[in-house]
Amino acid sequence: MALRNAVLRHLRVPVQNLAVRGSNQSQIGFLGSIRAFSSHDDHLSKQDVVDRVLDVVKSFPKVDPAKVTPEVHFQKDLGLDSLDTVEIVMAIEEEFKLEIPDKEADKIDSCSLAIEYVFNHPMSS
Amino acid sequence: MSGVSTAAYFARRAAQKERVRILYRRALKDTLNWAVHRHIFYRDACDLREKFNANQDVEDVDRIDKLIAHGEAEYDKWRHPDPYIVPWAPGGSKFCRNPTPPAEIEILYNYGHEDNP
Repeated sequence: MALRNAVLRHLRVPVQNLAVRGSNQSQIGFLGSIRAFSSHDDHLSKQDVVDRVLDVVKSFPKVDPAKVTPEVHFQKDLGLDSLDTVEIVMAIEEEFKLEIPDKEADKIDSCSLAIEYVFNHPMSS
Repeated sequence: MSGVSTAAYFARRAAQKERVRILYRRALKDTLNWAVHRHIFYRDACDLREKFNANQDVEDVDRIDKLIAHGEAEYDKWRHPDPYIVPWAPGGSKFCRNPTPPAEIEILYNYGHEDNP
């Protein structure tokens, strides 16, 4: 019986470790806003965001895909209209399932601003 | 109209351009609300764009104001009663649904067994 207990004590994962892991989880800080089993877990990587934004811009019919870089300005470099900028911002909103307030959307003028906004938005997916 | 290119004139024009952009944005979203299927939406969006482009070369500031007011009145007339709002945004279905618990609350993983190391 004592031998069995001794063997099991070796095999069983001590509860101590689980408590340590639990406290590690609560020390995540800002990312502690991530809850287990929540659907808000998919925080995108910067490269992902860049790729998807560039795809959206390249598939715009009035845009020449060869000129699109992550720093391109919609009106100066790509020669687009202000209304075209509005359309691109709406397409980005649809791509990342975001809701951008009107004042913020007005300020998005270039790819770099768009990428920054999407990356820093907590709800982009 | 001589001597009109003052800072006030440019400020007024810039404000008008911003109003036009915001109006176009809202009108486009409304068009998407009404015309859910993409092929219908693209056609309607093209028509909307033509309407905006037809007036883009107007230079008279007062006429631009009147056109913008007319556009906003039309937008108000056509607003959708049940617009699509992203779920987590105010007005959406998931808004305020599962707020994050306060940081003080944490799960005890060894409840009842604190004595056992």
